[in-house]
Amino acid sequence: MSNFSRRSFIKIAGAAGAATALGSLAYAPRARAAGGHVVVIGGGFGGASCAKYLRRADSGIKVTLIEKQKEFITCPFSNLVLGGLKQMDDITHKFDTLQKKYGVDVVHDTVTEIDPAGKSVKLKSGKSIKYDRLVVSPGISLKWGSIEGYDEKAAEIMPHAWKAGAQTVLLRKQLEAMKDGGVVVMASPPNPFRCPPGPYERASMIAHYLKKHKPKSKILILDAKDKFSKQGLFQAGWQQHYPGMIEWVAGAKGGVVKAVDTKKMIVDALDKHKADVANVIPAQAAGKIAIKAGLADDKGWCPVDPKTFESQKHPGIHVIGDASIAGAMPKSGFAASSQGKICAAAIVAMMRGKTIADVSYVNTCYSIVAPKHGISVAAVYRVTDKGIVAVQGAGGVSPADAPAAFREEEYKYTYGWYDSITADIWG
Amino acid sequence: MSISSRAVLLSLGAAGLLVVASAQAADAPVSAAQAANMAVNCFSCHGPEGRSPGSIPSLQQLTAVNIVALMKDFRSGKRPSTVMGRHAKGYTDAEVEALAGYIAGLKK
Ligand SMILES: Cc1cc2nc3c(=O)[nH]c(=O)nc-3n(C[C@H](O)[C@H](O)[C@H](O)COP(=O)(O)OP(=O)(O)OC[C@H]3O[C@@H](n4cnc5c(N)ncnc54)[C@H](O)[C@@H]3O)c2cc1C
Ligand code: HEC
Repeated sequence: MSNFSRRSFIKIAGAAGAATALGSLAYAPRARAAGGHVVVIGGGFGGASCAKYLRRADSGIKVTLIEKQKEFITCPFSNLVLGGLKQMDDITHKFDTLQKKYGVDVVHDTVTEIDPAGKSVKLKSGKSIKYDRLVVSPGISLKWGSIEGYDEKAAEIMPHAWKAGAQTVLLRKQLEAMKDGGVVVMASPPNPFRCPPGPYERASMIAHYLKKHKPKSKILILDAKDKFSKQGLFQAGWQQHYPGMIEWVAGAKGGVVKAVDTKKMIVDALDKHKADVANVIPAQAAGKIAIKAGLADDKGWCPVDPKTFESQKHPGIHVIGDASIAGAMPKSGFAASSQGKICAAAIVAMMRGKTIADVSYVNTCYSIVAPKHGISVAAVYRVTDKGIVAVQGAGGVSPADAPAAFREEEYKYTYGWYDSITADIWG
Repeated sequence: MSISSRAVLLSLGAAGLLVVASAQAADAPVSAAQAANMAVNCFSCHGPEGRSPGSIPSLQQLTAVNIVALMKDFRSGKRPSTVMGRHAKGYTDAEVEALAGYIAGLKK
């Protein structure tokens, strides 16, 4: 029996009624704004979510999404491609639904300049587009040079595969070509970086592939950090499925990678490590265009208002996703999508001259340790005077002592999450 | 009819069946826009508009009463879950009721 109370019903009904009367319901589908044009840069997790939810809320708003790639390949599940559990096609998404069903104007081009004063963006093709509000969701840039000798050219020999696509395919091919008994050296980046559990899910998936095809091989993770996301769950999983195969070296114990030598295939931390395959994930910053437009601080990430994700550097521009500084939220696709939706609601309210409603964000990072073995970390976030903070008592990681059936359920739900979030964004 | 007024009617139907009052007095009232801001986050796992294409259950077929009851049971642990307990603890009674009304009021 539910406890739906009259008192809170009246509160909800009252609030909804008042909101309807004012015409300020962010999700009223046929209500039209005074018009206005929102340009969104980047059709990834943050940008595509924002574009869709803007149109879902208000079909009177013109939305132009500028994305340089014709198709979007998700980083989520790219580790499963490395492990052989998924193919590239499974993680490739089109922009047709956004265009046809939601009426988002999708333009495949690269934004080369943002003019905050003139409220316009310049494209590689030479065109300029005017906006009333701009949303910037360009993801990350890799800090070439943060590891000596590691630049774009070196990444063709020692892939980062931290942007999914050709880099993912390259790393997979190198693993396939490696001899049994080879050593895969991974360099894991310093905080903050895209997808905190990502390097460790990747080690798990590479181990899964090696266990099946090249069981004498080893994986060495050289880490810039002294601890990592879901560490206890990952390490217990490695012990269970891949005993002796994965070695993790903490930053304080000699894990910090200083240099690479792509000719000799050496990854240089406290000791020089010879690699058969090297996966070097360097330090990161906000996507280039955000930095170029002056939206980032001196550390390379973009400060924003926690309720609207409007830039603290340039009013009228919102920065969401990995590029933003989002308090307690990690840099994940789930978080980027949550921010995109909330940012869309805020923009609709702003364009209608209404007050911004209280917000709530969510994140859950699922990781696959092995087939039938999934784990997760979850949180619900609110805004306080300290910015975006996790709700106390909620969230947390999967239980350490869960039975195999629980891990199997979470494995199944990891796929369910991927199916849902990609359908919600591009489907 | 707009989504909002349908949601209210559905909530009204749900509330009409019930007599128990247990929402915490401290709960702040939840506006419809705030309810939307909470509920859209559920779609990342439960699919667009609560219609799941995969292994996570859909929310679309549930009434507001169902959702409120399930959320409270996840929160208390009465209903075992892998992840919902961890999420349900992030919302007050008033918030659960508001977001349930929003989800139940979406176009079927
Ligand atoms: C291996 C790996 C595994 C991951 N697994 C998960 C997971 O399981 N769950 C999860 O939630 N997250 C995961 N992530 C993290 C997730 O991929 C990112 O957090 C997410 O993509 C961030 O979204 P975004 O919108 O900020 O950037 P992106 O999704 O990267 O989108 C940015 C887009 O902007 C475009 N763009 C950039 N600059 C321009 C420009 N100037 N003009 C036009 N277009 C431009 C790019 O082409 C790109 O398509 C993983 C990441 C990695 C690397
Ligand atoms: C991280 C993914 C995730 C998020 C986010 C999430 N759910 Fe769930 N939900 C699940 C899973 C998985 C189940 C199955 C129970 C379990 O193992 O946790 C479930 C089950 C449910 C059920 C029971 C459905 C049934 O028919 O048994 C309800 C109701 C529900 N969720 C509501 C919500 C609401 C409301 C939200 C948003 C506030 C939400 N969920 C957010 C993953 C999620």
